[in-house]
Amino acid sequence: MLTLTLKKEWLEGRREGRTLWLSCIVLVLLACALLSSWHSYQQVQVQKQQVEKSERERWLEQGGKDPHSAAHYGVYVVKPDTGLSVLDPGLTDYQGVVLRLEAHKRNETLFRGIQDAIQMQRFGNLSPAFILQTLLPLLIILFGFHSVAAERESGTLKQLLANGLCPKRFFIAKTLSIYGFALLFFVPLVLYILFTLVFGSSITAYRSALFLISYGVYILIWVLLTLVISSYSRTARSALISLLVVWASTCLFLPKLAIANAESKFPTPSSQIFLSKLESEIYTPERQQAITKFKQDTLDEFGVKSVDELPFAWSGAQLQFGEQYADKVFDRLFGQRQIQLDAQGFHYQSAGILSPFIALQAISMSAAATDLPHHVLFSNAGEKHRRLMQEILNGDLKENGLTKKSDGESYQGDHQLWERIPEFSYQYPPIDTLAKHYGRAAIYLVCWLVLLMFLACLAVQRIKNEGK
Amino acid sequence: MNLLICLCELKNLLRERLLWLLVIVTVFLSALASYNGHQWVATQNALIESSEQEQERALATSKKGLVERLALKQPINWWDDPYDLRGQAFYLLVNYANKPSLPSAAIAIGQSDVQPSFFKMLVTQKQAFIHQYEVVHPLALLIGKFDLAFFLIYVLPLLLIGVSFNALSQEKQSGQLRILMLQGLSPLRLLFNQLIVRASIIIFPLLLISVVALLLFSTSISLLTVGMLVFLILAYAVFWLALSALVISYGKTSAYNAAVLVITWLGFVVIVPALLNTMIVTLNTSPSRIEYVDVLRDKSDKVDRSVSKVMAQYFQDHPELARKPPSSKAAEEGNTSYSIKRIAKITALEKAMLPYDDAFQEVLMAQQNRAAQFSYLSPATILQTALFSLSGNGLMRHQDFIEQVLSHHEALRSFFRDSIAKAHERGDFKPCEGCVPRVTLADLSQVPKFSYQEERSSTSLNRLLVLLLFAGIFIFQANSRLSEMNRSQANSALV
Repeated sequence: MLTLTLKKEWLEGRREGRTLWLSCIVLVLLACALLSSWHSYQQVQVQKQQVEKSERERWLEQGGKDPHSAAHYGVYVVKPDTGLSVLDPGLTDYQGVVLRLEAHKRNETLFRGIQDAIQMQRFGNLSPAFILQTLLPLLIILFGFHSVAAERESGTLKQLLANGLCPKRFFIAKTLSIYGFALLFFVPLVLYILFTLVFGSSITAYRSALFLISYGVYILIWVLLTLVISSYSRTARSALISLLVVWASTCLFLPKLAIANAESKFPTPSSQIFLSKLESEIYTPERQQAITKFKQDTLDEFGVKSVDELPFAWSGAQLQFGEQYADKVFDRLFGQRQIQLDAQGFHYQSAGILSPFIALQAISMSAAATDLPHHVLFSNAGEKHRRLMQEILNGDLKENGLTKKSDGESYQGDHQLWERIPEFSYQYPPIDTLAKHYGRAAIYLVCWLVLLMFLACLAVQRIKNEGK
Repeated sequence: MNLLICLCELKNLLRERLLWLLVIVTVFLSALASYNGHQWVATQNALIESSEQEQERALATSKKGLVERLALKQPINWWDDPYDLRGQAFYLLVNYANKPSLPSAAIAIGQSDVQPSFFKMLVTQKQAFIHQYEVVHPLALLIGKFDLAFFLIYVLPLLLIGVSFNALSQEKQSGQLRILMLQGLSPLRLLFNQLIVRASIIIFPLLLISVVALLLFSTSISLLTVGMLVFLILAYAVFWLALSALVISYGKTSAYNAAVLVITWLGFVVIVPALLNTMIVTLNTSPSRIEYVDVLRDKSDKVDRSVSKVMAQYFQDHPELARKPPSSKAAEEGNTSYSIKRIAKITALEKAMLPYDDAFQEVLMAQQNRAAQFSYLSPATILQTALFSLSGNGLMRHQDFIEQVLSHHEALRSFFRDSIAKAHERGDFKPCEGCVPRVTLADLSQVPKFSYQEERSSTSLNRLLVLLLFAGIFIFQANSRLSEMNRSQANSALV
């Protein structure tokens, strides 16, 4: 039955030359997108490594300097990529790639690709993920919309049933033939992943498995959806229209409506308000009072009357106190904003119950580490490193600030001190530890599959009834 | 005859549930798109208003506190003193450069969600503020807004395909066409009347909603802009209807027409623009921002290391600052005070980075020029360019804004550079040992204010004429095919 169905589908496909041509074009586009994305990834990785190396050299070779000046000099750290970002660049262009770590400030990441882009960019990039998430479902629809409906319309379905066709086998054979066709588009991806797993270290097997399985399920969902709608439609025309409406709604409209709804439900403050709040909440009279109290407590603790009598440099202690004071404000304000952004992300993901596209997008970006949670992980790691830098530099100033150089000049940090600041090297955590960010989307994708399997059973029953 | 066909078509259509569904979808989505656009503009305007208020408040606070500051006896850190030129220049200044929305901004949100519409200015190197951005969920930027531009570019063609794909072919499949032709009706006339009636059902509500929304919510919008929008919508709709007519004229089944039209839509609206974008970016690759950071750090280090060279160059460029002999008090600090050194270093760094900044700008312009050339390959890119330009939320207006921001930045720096040098010369910053510095900026309104000057006229109609030209070719082709069909049917009837 399967061989016969495959043969028939192949013959029909050849007759309907446009679908085959379109498939070939999309396959070529996919291969080109993959090659271009991989080439650009390779270039960016080389640049990132170079910048990381020269930034470290700059830090170590900055010469003799007051530790606090070095804290202001700071370092730039670069966001890492995984090899899967070649397949799904996700939000890479919409988030900064470089973070400056310096004293007193928690900076936003810099240089979003989209700010250097032309307006045509808003139509999207031809990435492998774009092709698989958006175009492949449309190809499946064009390939399969007439599968059952056209048989019914032309009357051949009844003839087949009268000749003892098993509806269940018929449906499974149709499913497998279309799924097999769709999986052809997986070949370049699987080859790339295997190549990267064997010869590189930029992706892990878990992330790759999550990526491939989620796309496999997504494609199966569209195959089943196409066949179910085709089975329920009286004519091929109505099947096509219904499927196109579903495609446009789930891949084009719902994502826009869902994110707009999420933004209005969980609004974030504008940068202008956020920054002025940061300034006004850090540099307050309360801060001044806290510093005065800290000073008095320190003087009391050491039983002295002036900071000059302390056994260490007061400036280092005060700077560290100021940092810790500001850190609390950073944690609160950045935390509040992040809660809203996370809520927007979760709210958007909830629309995955209505659109498998949304559910897959979340899982795919998460596996490729190109979503917001991964960006936040990097950003938080950068901030942790910044605090460590300040602690070491201020601690050193506190400890050694009173010592004078032989020529009477004030204390300066040296290469030894700069080396005490560890090199920033961030690796994303294993994907299974981030399940809370994509777990909901995965459940929705499975729900879609289960629902469609159930509907497929009903469709088989319906076909069976037609033969009676 | 035409009226009769139209009335008959309308009567047939009213019986179809699908048509009502499409009308409801049109009304709902165009209303939603217009609402979203106006909401966005309101948010943007509120932001600009809030920044202007903040600037006004700073001015008022400064005026109010002047007497108290003049009477100050306690020493004050210059970086905390709003009446000190240095404090204002480097830390305290509230000076915004805003890009106001055009009255037509609600038509297309365009690039306004990814490009900042305001900058808070300080005397610092431009690299410190020019890359700022509004922090929103990046998914919202990736997915984009559901605005009128999106509705027109993506949804309108689908709706038009939805109402037109079975025109004529349905009559042909049911055998009605043969009867109608025997009665003297040409397929050409039938098809064009059908398309006009069907398209009107979509286009009229769309025009009504979008124009009324614009007139209601953007009170200062000109009728010319509204007329331009109507023209854009009609030209785009004519293109898609002409394409539908061409496909239908091949005389295939409704399902075939639908499939071909949807594939064409997919090609024109989704694949070609994405492909063009990828191609343009590949042909004119932007320099790397990661490498830019590296260069910026290197140049910054070089400037820091060679302060004396930087200062010599600076005084060579600004002899007016070097010529004046310092007063006795100022001499204690040296001719090159911290602030002057800092401004000189900022100037030197910006100068050193200029070739790298220019490289980005050149590539961006090369990409944009190429995009303008290639935009003829898809009606969607033609319409996008026109709508973004009409709304004032496109790349070119933003580039104008950036240029003006940089000029303003330069003006601010010159103002503070000259004022600080004069104050320094007078010894205002250190009148005597342990004294409170004199007030050097009593009136904040002296500081240059930014005012955006509109530079470009909006939409050019050339591209739309290309759209209409293509529509004309499609109609001509469809006409020839349908005339052929008419002749062959007439011959077969005679036989």
